[in-house]
Amino acid sequence: MTQDVIFTPLRFRNLEVKNRIFRSSISGRFDNEDGSLTQTRINWECKFAKGGAGAIISSYVPVLMEGRIIAGYATVHRDDFIPLWKRLGDAVHSFGAKFIMQLSHSGRQMDVPGVHNYARPTLSSTSRKESLHGFLCRAMSRQEIDRTIHAFARGAWRAREAGLDGVELHAANGYLFTQFLSAGINDRKDDYGGSLANRARFLLDVIRAIRAEVGSGFHLQVKISAIDYNNVVPWEGKGNTLDDSVQVARWCEAAGADALHVSLGSLFPHPLNPPGDFSFETISATYDAMISSGVSTMRNFLLFRYPALRPLFHWIWFRMKKGRPVEGIGLDEARAIKKAVNIPVLSTGGWQTASKIRAAIEAGGCDGVSIARSLVANPDLPKFWAAGDDLPPRPCTYCNRCLLNAPKNPMGCYEPKRFPDHDTMVEQLMTIYKAHPVLQVPSPADIVP
Amino acid sequence: MKPRIISDHELRSMSREPPVTATQEALQRRWRLWTPVYILLALIAVIGIVGAVLGVTLLWIVSQNRTPHYADIVEHFKYASIGAEPTSGFPYRIWRALPKLFPEAFGGRDDYAAFGFLYENDANGRPRDLPIGIAQREYRGVEIVWFNCATCHTGTVTVNEGGKTTRRIVPGMPSNNLDLYRFVRFVLDAGADERLSPDSLITAMNATGKKLGWIEEIIYRWYVIPTLREGLIQRRSRLLPLLAQQPGWGPGRVDTFNPYKLLQANIPIGSLDPKELVGTADFPSIFYQRPREGMHLHWDGNNTSLAERNLSAALGAGVTADTVDHASIERTADWLLDLRPPPSPYRPDPAAVARGRDVYMRACAGCHGSQGADGYAFTGETIGQVETIDKIGTDRFRLDSYTERLRDFQLSEFFKGTKYQFKHFEKTNGYANIPLDGLWLRAPYLHNGSVPTLADLLAPPAQRPKLFLRKSDELDAARGGFVAPACTAGQAGCFNTQDRGNGNGGHAYGTDLPDADKSDLLAYLLTF
Repeated sequence: MTQDVIFTPLRFRNLEVKNRIFRSSISGRFDNEDGSLTQTRINWECKFAKGGAGAIISSYVPVLMEGRIIAGYATVHRDDFIPLWKRLGDAVHSFGAKFIMQLSHSGRQMDVPGVHNYARPTLSSTSRKESLHGFLCRAMSRQEIDRTIHAFARGAWRAREAGLDGVELHAANGYLFTQFLSAGINDRKDDYGGSLANRARFLLDVIRAIRAEVGSGFHLQVKISAIDYNNVVPWEGKGNTLDDSVQVARWCEAAGADALHVSLGSLFPHPLNPPGDFSFETISATYDAMISSGVSTMRNFLLFRYPALRPLFHWIWFRMKKGRPVEGIGLDEARAIKKAVNIPVLSTGGWQTASKIRAAIEAGGCDGVSIARSLVANPDLPKFWAAGDDLPPRPCTYCNRCLLNAPKNPMGCYEPKRFPDHDTMVEQLMTIYKAHPVLQVPSPADIVP
Repeated sequence: MKPRIISDHELRSMSREPPVTATQEALQRRWRLWTPVYILLALIAVIGIVGAVLGVTLLWIVSQNRTPHYADIVEHFKYASIGAEPTSGFPYRIWRALPKLFPEAFGGRDDYAAFGFLYENDANGRPRDLPIGIAQREYRGVEIVWFNCATCHTGTVTVNEGGKTTRRIVPGMPSNNLDLYRFVRFVLDAGADERLSPDSLITAMNATGKKLGWIEEIIYRWYVIPTLREGLIQRRSRLLPLLAQQPGWGPGRVDTFNPYKLLQANIPIGSLDPKELVGTADFPSIFYQRPREGMHLHWDGNNTSLAERNLSAALGAGVTADTVDHASIERTADWLLDLRPPPSPYRPDPAAVARGRDVYMRACAGCHGSQGADGYAFTGETIGQVETIDKIGTDRFRLDSYTERLRDFQLSEFFKGTKYQFKHFEKTNGYANIPLDGLWLRAPYLHNGSVPTLADLLAPPAQRPKLFLRKSDELDAARGGFVAPACTAGQAGCFNTQDRGNGNGGHAYGTDLPDADKSDLLAYLLTF
């Protein structure tokens, strides 16, 4: 019997991953307000490492405090966090998985700014507010761009110093890189706006800066949105096409990227990412955590809360998804990019069925898949596949309740159909808090008056 | 320590917390920028909502067109609307106030009896608010009253039965009490009278009914009263030149067609031939219409269709093509088809009646039909046909008042394009031979009411009374008709046969009979 392609190693230029399964970036508000990570995060990541994923791509890790998406997520903006990240890396490694840090910057897509950021508009490529929630922003100056490029380079350096296995630049899903890349968002008139080459300049500058900082021997992959579909809010421009992204992918490869990770959509969340349902009852219970974050959030909250208004949002949201599958929603785009480059390509979007993943890889659509929600539902999903199951007994339903709870509640599976009762569900959510850190009596020097 | 005085500016700035987040700051800025717009929008919304509510209410009020329905057909005839109120009527509250404002015209009474309107009690024995012939309709939120068929076709007769005198109201007989001329003159003059100004009228309205609410008062002061006065002044300017040159009609009479020419047909009075300006005639009875279908109707026989005649009469009462209530008129018309006149109370000598019948059958029945034991026979060679004016020789003013020009207008304009459009009007050259059923209630006689009794009608024209009072409903058992004492010219209510339209000549049939035959004929006629 030939070996299952899912469980064959994937070799990058600087990294070998034991199988083709990557835990895509996902996390909760597990960490400290200052950006230092906690035991809970370690527990969270190890859950998937233990489950059999070949590599863990961290949740987005801001390279600057001003680039946080949601406060309470670990950052990599300080050198003194290196030992913490090292601890995390060691923990993941102990379960036989690799750990790739996703370096990110929210730009204007800052869901819960936190105390560091709430008093200032976020930095972006543009001064036009974000389209879905009305997050305010200000176009970055040249100096701010330079400073941010440097922060990414330093973030990668810290990751390397922490002994992590690589970094991923989160240039997809509407965050700062997308805000530069997307023709639907970037309205700059300088070297960082206008033509595709100009819009890609910021990303390519960062790749080059990272290479300059960490050398060519450290794994660097780039996550991009193959198609923007930026007109979720109907009056917005459509943004980048697949052809644009294919070109960007080639440039990334040339600039020194070791792999590409292909997603869809220039917002997060986006009707096509993560694909699936939209629970109005859930978001009505959690969106209040974001009301103070934007100038259009109250409008959204009303649309979510009042059943009479929901059909309007439902129509706006789901009109793009018609005719697309949930599982492997971005495979065609990944294939197109894979054809254009000579580095491995990962595909994300609803992957859960072994046979489909196998077929996708064997047909050359991608080299590996990244999975978040299906692994949250079943962290040991790879073990089911290894045992020959195509799907686990209680698969992810793509209800997206995990996503909609993120701004307010601990990360985990919130699909009531998967649990006998609410208490069991909460128990599952609490498992990551189980292995407690060793608490210590602070020294007088630790206490700042 | 001396307390520090906080300045107004500081107080104001303290009252508003500075924003905590950049989003709040932006929202505050946006709020400041857009506040005037929001206020404007809110104002527009409030005005819009208030306007919409008022508009809908107003539309609802304006769309109101309701009238009481009477189950009993006689009540319907007397009190139901035929659709004359909206364009011709008086608001009820003003109708009630007029007696107080114009006591001299009402003889000091607070009702319209002074003009000959008839009041009766309702089923519970209480006096009715409105007289017979005055119908009520709520139109555009205002109660309006005006004429119906009974105005001109309900009269009274005082009969002595078993030594007891009773006054009976008879629907369908001519309105022998109504002095329409005086009423019309009063109404037109009131329109030009300063007492009809809003201040005094509203005071009188409040004194004669529930005090008007402020909205009602506004509506009356600024819309209803000015509109009414405007309409009255317009009608006055058209009608007064006509009325001023006509002899007073007196009770029980009307000029049907001349006001019609001026008001409905908008013909300027100056363009009318002086010969056509007096068309005064008696109100006719309207009993038992079924046998009359196809006969020449109206005094001059200018129409052979009952329906057209009815509708034409309704126009005279004030309906228009837009306001006419066809269903109501048709209900009345259906009832009139078989409404028999009450039997004559006279009990003349049967032998004389029998002899008189022979005379009548020879001399009169061919034109008028005859009364028999089982009712009136509407048969006769020329019954319902028009007799030429040369032959009949009666006063020709009424004949001349109906002209080809008016006929053309009637046929081309009234109810134009509807199934009701007039087709049957024609200009005749005489007066119609009319059936004589209910004759005892139809005095005075001839089309213009110029001959007080049947006995007088059988006298040669030169011997007929030239001046008589025409206001009694007391039967004259000896002469057949109502008691009509002699009077002097110019005396109030004195009918002067010398006036234009009042001539009592012509219809000399039977005047040359021997006295005995005349006496027998009269006895027979008293049984009609």
